[in-house]
Amino acid sequence: MFDTGRMVVGTDQLDPALLEQLRPVTLTGEQLLEVPEPLLPLFPWGGIQRGWSVGVAGDGAWSLALAIWAEALGVEGWVAVVGAPDLGLVSASTLGVRLDRLVVVESPPSGEWSTVVASLVESFDIVAIDPAGPIGLRDARRLSARVREQGAVLFHLDGGHSWPSALDLTLTGCSEGWEGIGRGHGFLASRRLAIDAIGRRTGRPRSTSVLLPGPGGRLAVSG
Amino acid sequence: MGVVWCPDWPVVSWGVPLDEPAAVFVANRVVACSPAARDEGVVIGQRRRDAQGRCPDIAVLDRDVDREGRLFEPVAAALEALTPRIEVAGAGLVGFPTRGPSRFFGGDAALAERMVECVGPVLAGRGDARVALADGVFAARLAARTTEAMSGPVVLPVGASPAFLAALPITTLEQPELTDVLLRLGLDTLGGFAALPAGDVVGRFGREGRQAHRLAGGEDEHPPDLRRPAPDLAVTWQFEPSATRIETCAFAAKALADELHAALSADGLACIRVAIEAETDAGEQHVRLWRHEGALSAAALADRARWQLDGWLLMARTAGSERAGPGPSAVGEDAAMDAGIARLTLIPDEVVPASGRQLGFWGGRAERADDVTRTVARLQGLLGPEAVTVPEWRGGRSPAEQITLIPAAAVDLGEERPATSATWIAEPWPGRVPDPPPARVLADPPLVAVVDVVGRPVVVDGRGEVSAEPAMVTIDRTVGVSAWAGPWPADERWWDPLHLRRRARLQVVLEDGSAHLLMVEQQAWYLEASYL
Repeated sequence: MFDTGRMVVGTDQLDPALLEQLRPVTLTGEQLLEVPEPLLPLFPWGGIQRGWSVGVAGDGAWSLALAIWAEALGVEGWVAVVGAPDLGLVSASTLGVRLDRLVVVESPPSGEWSTVVASLVESFDIVAIDPAGPIGLRDARRLSARVREQGAVLFHLDGGHSWPSALDLTLTGCSEGWEGIGRGHGFLASRRLAIDAIGRRTGRPRSTSVLLPGPGGRLAVSG
Repeated sequence: MGVVWCPDWPVVSWGVPLDEPAAVFVANRVVACSPAARDEGVVIGQRRRDAQGRCPDIAVLDRDVDREGRLFEPVAAALEALTPRIEVAGAGLVGFPTRGPSRFFGGDAALAERMVECVGPVLAGRGDARVALADGVFAARLAARTTEAMSGPVVLPVGASPAFLAALPITTLEQPELTDVLLRLGLDTLGGFAALPAGDVVGRFGREGRQAHRLAGGEDEHPPDLRRPAPDLAVTWQFEPSATRIETCAFAAKALADELHAALSADGLACIRVAIEAETDAGEQHVRLWRHEGALSAAALADRARWQLDGWLLMARTAGSERAGPGPSAVGEDAAMDAGIARLTLIPDEVVPASGRQLGFWGGRAERADDVTRTVARLQGLLGPEAVTVPEWRGGRSPAEQITLIPAAAVDLGEERPATSATWIAEPWPGRVPDPPPARVLADPPLVAVVDVVGRPVVVDGRGEVSAEPAMVTIDRTVGVSAWAGPWPADERWWDPLHLRRRARLQVVLEDGSAHLLMVEQQAWYLEASYL
């Protein structure tokens, strides 16, 4: 009798894509950057805290970083890559990083290095570094403070080797074998990767296993 | 309005002779080509592979908007003999109001002849220029487009522009979102659209629709009762000492543009025409107007100021070095001149109420992009303009070729950039190694050793087969091979014997768990990428 045409529904019945659009897009107020679902066992608190320094090391280290950026940046976040000319941007795109939100900065002279990184953390959500040489303790302290104050995340593509102090979180990959390739036939299709997470702020070490790359080149749950 | 349009300007600015086939590509599509290339069947919008198929020896040029902008100044300056109020709408397109000059030179037809005479020597046969006079900029530009190369100017009598426009297809508006709807409504000419009542157009299509409607009717995009900005909105930079290098000028231009843009936005205004004024040491004054159909963003303002200053510095230099030479054809990359620029002023010449369309729905997107743009500009000031880059897709076989980095200054970070989407390249290239792509691609691939089980180097023969199973690979240290696949042979540039490259690629998984992409060329193995 009372055909109103539309029913009032709870948010759980709305199209998730629509809800995603309705969500405020400025992330500054939010303290956590989301991580891809297959990595959630490593992040029981839900994601990467803004202000952290995160290192990636071992097998699949850069793929892991790229897969995390894809989720953490969403549609609005920006990432700057400093001094890593070898980072595979085709791979970044395949893993879901939006290339129109990515800026590549050539390796700055060592005297300018910390100035450059410090200005990047002001407006980029993620700043990825691969320093050519060791970073001094003073520079490192000043940068860490700046990163926390601005709520950015500093990604160490070298696993933190050049950094004089401990990182908030280090993710280390260990390849457990490739699928799809044999001796002289097939091609590299997917890799089973064990990941260990340790950090000074994260309690006990945690580990999980994923496919990176999984089917379609993306990160997938290992199953 | 009278306009001069150089249709092939992106190619002409590279200094390509008319009889050599050349084309400028953006993300693998032709955006401009030389007449010689056009004769071979190259057209705008064509894919790079198709263009190279039609015309194998075509020169492939990258778009360089900076070069286009600064080299255009001599063309604009040539028209100063006719009127001081020259307006550059973009590299390759320049116009001015004709009412005064036309009366002075004895009518529109005479003025048009003078325009051809002024521009001809500057271009000196390097490219084609078309001249047209009509009631508005839009009509004049379209009229210029209908003329044949150098066939003589087109002069539409006063009041004839609406009739001229009425017959043109609706797509000439170049606003696909709007014109798709109009086409579905059965309005396929500008005349049909212009005949709609203005009130209905505003009601259905909003302010942008109304702007297009004004154009279709032969009026200017914005109504004539524009607010003139208060004079205190002009911004000035004093150079101490005076600037002779473009880097110094570019820095000032950027700062001024930011300041002006902020002042205008605070008043809810957007600038559609800016006057760029420079004063030299010697007290010479240069002024040039730049127009933009939408509204000039801070980055767009800075670009135009930089091109203009670069153009002036270039002209001053060529005038100083070769007073006898007629055309400023020499292109010096290192900008330095005797008389420096002492003062730079940006004056918002025409402003309109800001439509606010540059703000994202939540106000977030544009502000973030502005923040990022500012940071990028600061770093460019610190490290040089080439040091900060953004990716764009290109076609290619190897991971390193598929994406190229272009200077961030060449794009507007706040705008949509279709070339950053993987769908931009429609088809995979033959000979490509299967996905997934490697996360580490060596910019400078180091030599590696690949040997078989008895220690002999592995080679790939002409049919693309390996001589023996690879057993050990030496990158930093020697490690056994646990799995391998390939080779994928790739003959690149087979049409060009000088640049022909025969290569093959091999995927290997080593016993330490790492996986790599190796490339062999002339029996030497290189580490091209790692699945890091």
